[in-house]
Amino acid sequence: MEKLKVALIGAGFMGGIHIARWSMIGNAEVIAVVDINKERAKKLAREYNVKNFYKNYKDVLKEDKIDVIDVCTPTYTHKEIAVESMEHGKHVIVEKPIALRLKDADEMIKASKRNHVKFMVAHCLRFWPEYVAAKKIIDSGELGEPRIVRAYRQSPFPDWAPWHNEIKLGGGVFIDMSIHDIDFLRWAIGEVSEVYARGGVLRRRNATACDYVHAVLKFSNGAVGYVEGSWIMPKTFPFTTYLEIVGNMGILKVDNHTTSSVKVFTEEKAFDYTFVYKDAYYEELNLFTRSIIEDAQPPISGLEARKTLEVVLAAVKSIMENKPVKLPLKGDIL
Amino acid sequence: MRKIKFGILSFAHIHAWNYAQVLKKLESAELVAIFDDDKERLARASSAYNVKDTYLNYHDLLKRDDIDAVIVTSENARHKEHVIAAAERNKHVIVEKPIATNLRDADEMISAAKKYGIKLQVAFVMRYHDASLHIKELIDKGDLGKILSIMSTNHGKYPGGWFGDPDLAGGGAIMDHTVHVADLMRWYTGDEVEEVYAVTGLNIRNYLKVEDVGLISLKFKRGIIGSIDCSWSRPDTWPIWGDVYMAVYGSEGYVIVDAFVSNVTLVKEGKPLEWRYFGPDADLNMIEDFIKAIKEDREPRATGYDGRQALEIALAAYDSIRKGEIVKLPLS
Repeated sequence: MEKLKVALIGAGFMGGIHIARWSMIGNAEVIAVVDINKERAKKLAREYNVKNFYKNYKDVLKEDKIDVIDVCTPTYTHKEIAVESMEHGKHVIVEKPIALRLKDADEMIKASKRNHVKFMVAHCLRFWPEYVAAKKIIDSGELGEPRIVRAYRQSPFPDWAPWHNEIKLGGGVFIDMSIHDIDFLRWAIGEVSEVYARGGVLRRRNATACDYVHAVLKFSNGAVGYVEGSWIMPKTFPFTTYLEIVGNMGILKVDNHTTSSVKVFTEEKAFDYTFVYKDAYYEELNLFTRSIIEDAQPPISGLEARKTLEVVLAAVKSIMENKPVKLPLKGDIL
Repeated sequence: MRKIKFGILSFAHIHAWNYAQVLKKLESAELVAIFDDDKERLARASSAYNVKDTYLNYHDLLKRDDIDAVIVTSENARHKEHVIAAAERNKHVIVEKPIATNLRDADEMISAAKKYGIKLQVAFVMRYHDASLHIKELIDKGDLGKILSIMSTNHGKYPGGWFGDPDLAGGGAIMDHTVHVADLMRWYTGDEVEEVYAVTGLNIRNYLKVEDVGLISLKFKRGIIGSIDCSWSRPDTWPIWGDVYMAVYGSEGYVIVDAFVSNVTLVKEGKPLEWRYFGPDADLNMIEDFIKAIKEDREPRATGYDGRQALEIALAAYDSIRKGEIVKLPLS
């Protein structure tokens, strides 16, 4: 069988993560790397022995042999690139968040239907081993019915992507980072009915996007939740995640440090790492590849991603209005 | 130096047993008399701590001139009655948290303490735990810069008994577990809460008449953000009673207090895993400091007023849940 031909758009942080996983997938290969910064495209292409690199993504859309567009660009560009790619008959996987506006998400979903192409949003937590393990336990009924959940995600500000400073470009910490926890909780616990959030631009200077947010959630099934996203950690702080699910029959919790099987300390740095069989990014891209080959539904639909987006937008609206916000949202926020 | 003579008013609250143990241990204190209206419990406490003078009527205990101070560890709703009676007999008082179940009671207790010139300390033991005290010192030195946000949890198991009785406890997990961390937040920030939003959901234990789930979002007057998870979300088989966890985000640094993780892991055949705590004894530090406050004639570290302010936050949380909206402080 011939391999699916992939063009990677965006050679930044996520682009680097994705191309490494594409290189492990037998049924697909990256044949072009695109970045608005051509040098960056060239560098990443060279590193993975990809011949072609471009500055403008439109150049790869014309290439008939390209089957898949992997959109790893900043959030504010997702819709344009994804819709145009789908109009050219390409299957599209786009990094989370799907977009910053529900209207844009809807356009993307419509474009995928209209052009009969596969469309998936890369919510990697649905493949992240500890979260998958937690989901399995929840689904097994061992915890009983969910009652109260907590999820945190803490990191220094992503300096490599300064567009995260702008609410109109990246949406802020809750839209960009806590969206992981929100998506997971929707998947594992159920739909959110109401959100109250507090947050602000606490540490960044001259930024418009919140760098710290906490949200209190009500789920339709009577459970409640606390989700916190922080980009205000000191530079030395290791990226940290925490998950706790309490049901009426038990509790589970997991975090990314106590579970790490390797801890490394040198004069230069300290880090820990949790080894797994195949990591979440591999699973995510591999399953998307399979959905194309088998002409099946991709594991995460545009609609699912839109529902997750709606919850994080409700949090932003709640911060703006300082009151609880009920779902569904009546319109866009940003 | 003269020992301070203590009485304990009721062993209804589990902490009474810890305090009694501390009083037996301290050189500067002597546990001379105990009261309980539950005869069987009184007998148990009497033999556990070798206290001969036992009372089924607390007035009789308070009449004794040789008693300097009492610890009130009765059910929350009875604190007022016991504290005011003690004040009227000029006894210094440590009252278990929450100070009371409503602000009127709390205010009356504070007034009585003032009127009779006694020390009224609320048992905010976390102000005396070395971990939380260390962070207070870092904050006061300015090592964290400006405090931006504090995320906290005070999880627990369901304590059982009257804690499930809304009349005696004044509520469930929110009444029981909001005030410790709310008090630490007030202490750390030197600020008062301006806004409270809270939710509860379906209970973990559906047989309870009080809530065992609660989440609170706070804003302080100077804009600092706070959150409290006060849920009794630990099953009976959890290795330890619960936790006090605070993550303090500052403009210059980030610190975590995780006050009850200093444990030895213990597993016995056929039993759930246990964590046996070996950390500092906050109860002991608190009572020692209370004795000093009496001897030095100064205000205790956590006063009746502190107890009232923390209670107001818990009450505002209930108010917010009833209304489904943000509640502004002070409560009217």
